Amino acid sequence: MAVLSKLVKWARIKSPWIIHYNSGGCNGCDIEVVAALTPRFDVERFGILLKGSPRHADVLVVTGPVTRQTKKRLVRIYNQMSDPKFVLAVGTCTMTGGVFRGGYGVVAGVDEVIPVDVFVPGCPPKPEAIIHGVVKLLEKLQKL
Amino acid sequence: METIELLILILKFILFPGALFCIAYGWFLEWFDRKLYARFQNRIGPLLTGPKGVLQPFADFIKLLAKEDITPAGADKFGFTVTPLLTLVVSLFTLLFIPIASLSGILSLSGDLLLVLFISTVFGLLIMFAGYFSGNRFSIVGTERTGLQFVAYEIPFALSVISVALATRSLEIVNIVTYQVNTLKLPLIVIVPVAFIIYLISSLAKLEKIPFDVPEAETEIVAGWQVEYSGKKLAFFRLATDLKMVFVSGLAVALFLGGPYGPSIPGLEPVFYTIWFIIKTLVVMFILSNLRSLFARYRIDQVVRGFWKYLIPFAVLQILAVQLLIFLGVI
Repeated sequence: MAVLSKLVKWARIKSPWIIHYNSGGCNGCDIEVVAALTPRFDVERFGILLKGSPRHADVLVVTGPVTRQTKKRLVRIYNQMSDPKFVLAVGTCTMTGGVFRGGYGVVAGVDEVIPVDVFVPGCPPKPEAIIHGVVKLLEKLQKL
Repeated sequence: METIELLILILKFILFPGALFCIAYGWFLEWFDRKLYARFQNRIGPLLTGPKGVLQPFADFIKLLAKEDITPAGADKFGFTVTPLLTLVVSLFTLLFIPIASLSGILSLSGDLLLVLFISTVFGLLIMFAGYFSGNRFSIVGTERTGLQFVAYEIPFALSVISVALATRSLEIVNIVTYQVNTLKLPLIVIVPVAFIIYLISSLAKLEKIPFDVPEAETEIVAGWQVEYSGKKLAFFRLATDLKMVFVSGLAVALFLGGPYGPSIPGLEPVFYTIWFIIKTLVVMFILSNLRSLFARYRIDQVVRGFWKYLIPFAVLQILAVQLLIFLGVI
């Protein structure tokens, strides 16, 4: 069984599929996430694929502060994902709410709504930083 | 004596040209396709999983097997569970008819070309069931699109195969291959080039690869018919797609490219035939990946109209041309 669980851990580290959700940001981080997926940075090297359906994905990539409107949807998408699932919060707004913190329509950071595994700071974070965050997440998986 | 023969047959089914080889080769083809697709887009593609990322599809499969398996409340429980398994079994079954290590497949009976055509039609039906049973609005739209696309590609596909059957005057895959090897001494693509092109285009639609990936159009309907499938079921669907890739390219090799026949050392035919089979299927996959990265997705009405308006007339013309050649006594 030890061999089997090792194999599963290896497979998990080698193929983290992501789903990308914007919970009310300014689209800056989304551009950077897309840049990380496209030829210049190409995260498919690590086996990362962008999936449309939350049922297929392992990692939920959230960008932007959580607004009151998207809170329900964010939780629903998180619940629709199948275990084991991880959350990667990209951008300053996802950590605290950023410049939107205290606004009447804003709840604040993502961690107040769903559990977050890795935060990537920056406004917006560079694609290198996002890839670094993903690598951190994979290191966390290694220790699991 | 009988038990040894039976044992060899079972080993054939399970190990070498049968299930395990086909699954491994399917994963290899998926990696090849993904890598080529990435290279065409100036990306690197899978790199860090095994040497050059060869093990990527295998890692995906294992990961999906180990994930939670969700059955949504709105789904038809029985159908939702059975369809992925059926799809996998059906696509494995068709592969038994494809000649890989010898000039005939593991199974071979008279009229097996028709049987293979029929079973490959079941792929489309099963996809429709898969979308229908999951009870999601996106998958219902995907199902409708699958049905429409099914109406579009199935007829040119069958017509292109029929022109091969006419040219070789046989409905048996073994006879078609031996005809090319012994009688014609040329791959059949020389005689029916148009049918080969039509076969490739409609098999692209059969595989739901990019210009015809309307049923699972990511930007429009999330993931189409497979939107609700997670964990093991998704793994089975993905594996079935890989096996379908082996099937489609393998059938193209058997029908148009002279089967797995090629120069070989006498006595070592199975080894050489397998190598030739792999080379030829890789060529077919290379063409398919090229087409996949060259074109953007068509709308569903464009797909149906294109197939009916352009491919079917050309397929019929090809059949007439074959008849003319037979009449003139060329073949």
